[in-house]
Order: sequence, then structure tokens, then C-alpha cells
Amino acid sequence: MTWLDIVILIVKCIVLTLAATTMFAYFTLFERRLLARLQNRVGPNRAGAIPLPGGQRILGGWLQPAADAVKLFFKEDVVPVMADKWVYIMAPGFAVIPALIIWVAIPLGYWPDGAGGNLLQLAEIDVAILYLLAVTSVGVYGIAIAGWASNNKYSMLGGIRATAQVISYELALGLAVLGVVMQAQSFRTDTIVDAQTTLWYIVPQFLGFVIFLVASTAEVVRAPFDLVEAEQELVGGYNTEYGSMKFALFFMSEYIKLIAMNAIAVTLFLGGWKVPGLQTLADAVTASFGANIGNAVFGLTSLGAFLLKVTVLSFVSVWVRATLPRVRYDQLMDLGWKVLLPLALINVALTAIVNVILPDNIWISGIVLFVLGLATLIGATILSRPKYTSSQVTMVKNNARS
Amino acid sequence: MLANYAFIGIFFIAALIFPLIPLIAAWRLRPARPTATKLDTYECGLEVIGETRVQFRVQYYLYALAFVIFDVEMVFLYPWAVAYNQLGLYGLLAMTVFIVILVFGLAYEWKKGALEWV
Amino acid sequence: MIEIPPIDWSVVLQLCIIFGGATALLMADLFIPEVRRRVTGYLALAVLAAAAIAGVAPWGCRGHTFSGTIQIDSFSLVLNWIFMLGAAITIVLSFDYLPRHGINRGEYYVMILFAVGGMMLLAQGADLVVLFLGLELLSITLYALAGFAYPRTTSEEAAMKYLLIGAFATGFLVFGIALVYGATGATNLAQIGAVLAEGRIDGENRIYLMAGAAMTVIGLGYKISLVPFHMWTPDVYEGSPTPITAFMSVAGKAAAFAGMTRFLLTALETQREIWVPILAALAAITIVVGNLGALTQQNVKRMLAYSSIGQAGYILLGPLAASERGTEAMLYYLLAYTLTNLAAFGVLIALEARGEAAWNLSDLGGLWQRSPGLAIAMAIAMLSLAGVPPTAGFVAKFAVFTAAWQAGQAVLVFIGVIVSAIAAFYYLRVVAQIFMSEPTREVEISSDRVLAFGIGLSVIAIVLIGVLPARLLNLI
Repeated sequence: MTWLDIVILIVKCIVLTLAATTMFAYFTLFERRLLARLQNRVGPNRAGAIPLPGGQRILGGWLQPAADAVKLFFKEDVVPVMADKWVYIMAPGFAVIPALIIWVAIPLGYWPDGAGGNLLQLAEIDVAILYLLAVTSVGVYGIAIAGWASNNKYSMLGGIRATAQVISYELALGLAVLGVVMQAQSFRTDTIVDAQTTLWYIVPQFLGFVIFLVASTAEVVRAPFDLVEAEQELVGGYNTEYGSMKFALFFMSEYIKLIAMNAIAVTLFLGGWKVPGLQTLADAVTASFGANIGNAVFGLTSLGAFLLKVTVLSFVSVWVRATLPRVRYDQLMDLGWKVLLPLALINVALTAIVNVILPDNIWISGIVLFVLGLATLIGATILSRPKYTSSQVTMVKNNARS
Repeated sequence: MLANYAFIGIFFIAALIFPLIPLIAAWRLRPARPTATKLDTYECGLEVIGETRVQFRVQYYLYALAFVIFDVEMVFLYPWAVAYNQLGLYGLLAMTVFIVILVFGLAYEWKKGALEWV
Repeated sequence: MIEIPPIDWSVVLQLCIIFGGATALLMADLFIPEVRRRVTGYLALAVLAAAAIAGVAPWGCRGHTFSGTIQIDSFSLVLNWIFMLGAAITIVLSFDYLPRHGINRGEYYVMILFAVGGMMLLAQGADLVVLFLGLELLSITLYALAGFAYPRTTSEEAAMKYLLIGAFATGFLVFGIALVYGATGATNLAQIGAVLAEGRIDGENRIYLMAGAAMTVIGLGYKISLVPFHMWTPDVYEGSPTPITAFMSVAGKAAAFAGMTRFLLTALETQREIWVPILAALAAITIVVGNLGALTQQNVKRMLAYSSIGQAGYILLGPLAASERGTEAMLYYLLAYTLTNLAAFGVLIALEARGEAAWNLSDLGGLWQRSPGLAIAMAIAMLSLAGVPPTAGFVAKFAVFTAAWQAGQAVLVFIGVIVSAIAAFYYLRVVAQIFMSEPTREVEISSDRVLAFGIGLSVIAIVLIGVLPARLLNLI
């Protein structure tokens, strides 16, 4: 390893960090605009608008994240006297670091560096899946520590709720990922992406995908599972006592984690950076412009495809937030332990049985698994719907009549 | 190959430094005019009553205990998951027994009411 | 394809029945209503019976499986039967006890089954790691069972003490295993024995081996309450629910003896001249301290706890002889002791009918007038513990003394005989109290048929194997 390599590596690290931050900044804008649209409002549309001749203004709001950041920098930062000062200050760091280092093991695209490596994946490690699971669950420490250090009842409750919630959904999450690992028989994220060339794992692992989406939403404590913050009852929960830049760091860690979760979902279930015809395009470019340009085209296109898929899932996240009301805590725990965990176990069992019994043809086993998964999901939905006795129903009907 | 783990370490350091920059910048930039009310613990404007760090409900611990058991069992499933095809039917049966025990544990807790949020 | 080594299921059949049955029972119990809790107990008895029958077919065979970590031979089969007998009688004694004390929970029977599984691992283990596994399974279930009478504080105290001391013992055991492994490079008992027979261990490794062996023996010594490690015994035995005390004192002790015998006679066979004198000294102290401790007790349950310490010393004479004869004597003693102690504790359970302790010596006064059956049962149990013919206890003591005498432990036998004579005092004091004293207060006596059946069965067995010992000794 030469000095140049190290410099390149450091540059990569800085670029990845800044990219994650920028993604966060624009995701907040994306979310605010989209939420506003979904609620029939306009949303932030002033900052940075470019006036056109004729009184028209376009791109309104694109500087909103920057304006928010500036505001937060100049806010007064109060450390409550009752708080544990140093733990209180460190907590945002605990939250941000795991959110950032998740990105190391995700292949953001495929840009061959000529030596068998991939420029768009920082670390190609053998146990990437375990790494991802470990780091996502470490994220809760920031929240738990913040809740404890604030010495505020709301924060404390938020922190405890967060811990219980995250550990409950981690089981379902881990078992959902297990299905993918069984399909690909590897812990490497790049191998898993490669294995999805023929068929994205959303088909054979449909059940796993649904579990993963629900569990990951709960894992990053987002609506409808945001009991940790629950403005109406906990006044922001663990971050009640946080202001200024420390609050911004919590906010950032939450959103970066959300995007990272979506990126993991894309990697595991939606074929990662794969798009049909990518190789043909790159071959054509290589033939006419040489290998370097070909690699660059391949890399940028795959990165674009990856980001597009992440955007689609991010849209779903915002959509869910706009649509669903917050669940009650007992419902949250019931969903995690009594619905998702058994479903995830069924998914693992189905995957194992189908893949051992059926031949190696991914199409046959994939479609069989898809059908079985869908049937299980429908069955679970029917089983877990609220049940009312016929007398209750008649009671309500009579009420309505009178 | 090991170098890849070093990348994680280097990125970890980058991630460690990253939150420091805005924290220090904000520390230099922001105003600081503390008053007694500002520094008090926030409880919706009411006076703070009682200790914060009190005993909280045991249900949280029950979930945590159940989690530890299931998490360990899940970790045992991982090595099997990468090799279950090579182990054939025997491996499948052995793991079925394991998963059945896991399910028994869940059913036991369920029926005993350890998973009820009362 | 990855090759999976073949498994000889006949070796682990009994274990499979016990563990599978226990797991299934845990599930089945969820659907058995509280008032029918006895059904769980009967199912547990059925599991034990099935496992006991499964032990008939491999009688006389020797074999091992799972890469030589689990083995089967006559020694382990006999011990398995002793464990299952102990567990079965314990379950029978518990039917009446549990509802009276408001602890009628199905997990009780399941945990007894799991404990039996752990004991079988100890008897069948041919590897230090399996021995450790069995001991842990046995101990953890027993910790929980000791505290089963929650929220009675004495029971909680017993569980806590047992857990803390047990954890300490486990630490010794694991550290000992690690040192033995470090010195010999093997955890398999036969391999350790082979390495030692070649005499390749010397210098530092020899010190490690000795330290490791000593710590392993100490770890097991806690479980059988050898004397420097016996402090927990009286408190834990007194606080635990009485059937569990009985179970702990017989089956748990037998299992730890099984593990210790395996370790000493398979792995350390060649080092006999080192460990025999040490253990002989320990046995002598155990006999003396246990019996002298029992002399001053007014509480019968506590007296039985001390007596069980003393009995452990006598049982240790068997492995000390380091001969076929000695092992047989130990097995016979364990069987006799199991039956005797269960009968004695069964009588105590019958006296606890109202759910309160009636363990004072004076509470036994006039038992003869109130319940002749129980009085006779208690008297026979006490005579057997004291070693009076024609009970099983006499034959057992006779067998271990002969074995030890033949092995040249004359001094030890001498001490044993003297102390037995002293011990007869406090056993006979109970008998005298039963037949000659007047009752000091009204103690309600349980008239449960199943309980009476359990006690009766043990007593008949004590007399039977006392009168006809030759049959059984030949069989073993």
C-alpha cells in the first residue's frame, strides 16, 4: 500500500461522508415537499428560488436545507444542569457514527478499478451482512444514552421505549435477512448483488422483503413506529433536552439510517445496482472509447440505478409516514413478536425446504417461494385482523340505525 | 482482503471526526445567555417533581430477556444458512428440530403471557 | 457435499427420550388446566418409564458416539436407572405437596426431566466438555427448582445461595478442565488416560495437570458436598421445597459421583497414588464433620442435610477403592441411599400437609399413635441410614467398607465404622421420638394415597434389597 492509496482512501471516506450528509439534507427537503403534497399543502418553496424573466420563479426551496443548517448553527445550545454533561454531549456522536459507517459495506454501484476491485464499495468484507446487522442495532445506543443522560422523564421514557422497540424488531429483521443469505449462500453484499442477475430476490423472498420493510421502519424508529419521539405525549422523547447542533446530529443520524436501511433493502432484495442491459451498454462504450471510459459509464450508470431504486423506497417511506397513524405500544410489541417473528421463522423454513427439495432452477423455486410467501402473508393478515363477535357487530349496526 | 477491514477502521475515524466539526463550529458561533429557567429540566413548564431515574416497568426486561435468547438462536442459524444446501436433507432435518425448539420457546412465552403488554 | 459422521442412536436413545419428552411436555403443559396439573406429572412419569425401558435393550453393550464424547455401558445404565427412579419417586411425592403449597406449576415436572437429562449426560459423558454440559444442565434446573416455592423467602434464599455457590463451583470446574486440556491436549477422558499412561507429561505440564485435576474434583466436590465445600448444603436443603431437597440429595449427588468416578477412574487411573490419599483424607473429614454436625440438629430436615454430607463420605469410599468391586459398591450405595432418603423426605412431606414446616424433632413425637404407617416408614428409613441390618443401608455400608478394606484403606474403614456407631445415636433418637414420646402440638398429616404409595414403595424396596442384596449385586 503506497501513500497514494492511503490518500485515495481518505478522499473516498470524506466523499462518502459528505455524500451521506448531502443525501440527508435533500431527503429532508424531499420529505417535506412530498408530505406537503400528500396533505394538500405547498411545503417549503422560497429559499433559493431563481427568478426568471416574466415574474416566474423556479426551483423554489432548493436551499432550504442550507437555511435550516445555518439556523441551527446559530441557535443557543442549553445543557440542562441536571444532565450528565459529558454523556449528554457524547450521545449525538453515538447516534451519528453507526449511521455513517453502515455505508462502508454497501455496494453503491460497480466501477471496476482495473485490479478486480470496486471503486463504489469502500470495504469488500466477507461478513458484510453480519456487519450491517451489528451496526444497525448499535444505533440505538445513541438514543438510549441520550434518554438517560438528559435526566428528563420524557427523554428517559423515549430511550427505554427505543431500546425495547429496536431489540424486538431486530429479531424479525435478522431473520428476514437470513432468507436472503440462504438464497445467495454468502455473507458478502457483492456476491448477493451478483446472485440477483437473473432474478431479484424480491420474488423468491417476497415475504422476507415485506418483513424487512416493516422491521426496518421500526428499527429506525420512524412513523408509524415513532413512539420514541411521539411529540404529543413525550414532547420529542429522547431529544427533548437537545437543541442546536446536537439536535441536528440526532436528526441527521435518523435520516441517514433510514436511507441506509433503504439502501440495504435495495441491495438485498431489489438487485442492488443491477439494471438490465447495463453490461451491453458498457461493452459498446468500451469498444468505441476504451476501457476507462467504459468503466466510468458502467460505474455511473449503476450508481444512478442504485440511487433511483433507493429513491423509490424512500418515496415509500414518506408515503407510509403520511398515510399511517402512530401505533399504540402494545400493538407495536404484538406486531413485532406475534406477527413478524413467526412470519420470519416461516420464511426461513419455507426457503430452506423449497431450496433443498426443488432443483437449482431459480425461476421454478423462486416462483414457488413467491406464491408460498404471498399465501402466508395473506393468511397472516386474515388471522391477525381484529375480530368482533356477531353481537358486537349488531350492536354497532343498531346504534347506527337509531 | 484484510485491508478491507482497515478501511472500516479508517472510515470509523472519519465518522468519529465528522460530528465533531459541526459541534465545535456551533460551539464557537452560537450565543450563550443561560438563565435559571433555561437550564432547568423541561417538563412542559411545570415544576419538576420526583426523580427521573426510577424503576420502570418490568415488561421491558421481559422483552429484553426474550430477545437475548432469540438473538443467540438466530446467530446460530447464520452459519447454517450459508451451507444448508451442502448439508442436504439431514442438515435440513437437524435445523428443523432447532427451529421447532425456537418456535416452542416462542409459543411458551406467548401462552404464558410474557409477550403481553399489560 | 459436507459429510456428516454417522451417529449411533442407540447410545443416546435414553437421552433423546428424556429431552424430547421434556420439550414436548413443556408444550403440552400449556394446554393442561391448573386443576388437572397432575396429568403433567403422570406424563412425566410416562416419559421416565419409556426412557427406563429403552435402557433394557442395550444392557451389556458398550458403545460410544458423537466422536466418542458420549458412551454407554453398564455403569451408565445402572446410574440412569437410579436417576430415573429418584426422579419418578420425587414426582410421586410432589403430587400432593405442590397444590398444598400453592406452587402447582407444570414447569416443575419438566425441569425435573431436564435435570434427569443432565444427570444422564454426566453418567454417559466420555468427555470433560460433556460432563460440564451435564453438570450445568443439572445445576441450572436445580437452582430454579430450589427457588420454586417463590414467594416463600426461605426458598428464594436457598435458590440464591445455591446459585452463587454453584456458579463458584462451575468456575472451578471450567478452569480445571481448561488446565487439564492445556496439559494433556485432550478433553476426552480415555485420551487423557492414554496420554498419562504413556508418561509423557512432565515438568510444568504435570503441575498444570495436577492443578486442573484438583480443580475439577473440587468443582464436582461442591455438588456432592464434600467437606470443605459443603457449607451451602444445610441452608439450601432446608429452604428448598421438600421434594426438591430429596431429589437434590439423591439424584444430584449420584450424578456428581458418576462424573467424578468417570474422571478419576478413566482419565486419572494411572495417577492413583496421588489422588487416593488426598481423597481418602477428604472422605474421612466428610464422614466425621457431616455426622458430628447432624448430632446437634433439632430440625429433622437440617439433620438429614448434614446426614447427607456424611453419607457422601461413605459413598466416596467406593471410587477410592479404584476397583470393580468399589464401583459396584458405590452404585449399590447410591441406590440404597436414594430409596432411603426419598422415604425419609416423603415422611416429612406428609407432615407438611398444612403447608407449614413441621420439621422439629418434637413434631415427630407420637407419630406412632397418629399414623403407624408413616412411623414405620420413618423408622425403617432411619435404620437404613444408620446402617442397621436387614436394611439396604447395612448392605451398602458393608459393601463399601469391604471394597475399601481390600484396597488397603484400613484406617479409613476404621474411622467409618466408629463414626457410624456415633451416627446411629441421632438416627435412633428420631426413632425413639416417634415411638416413645407424646406429640407436643397437633400436626396435620397428609392422607394422600399417591404420596403413601410413593413412601411405601421406597420402604418396601429398602427392605427388599436389604434382605436379598446378592441378586442385585450380581446384576450390577
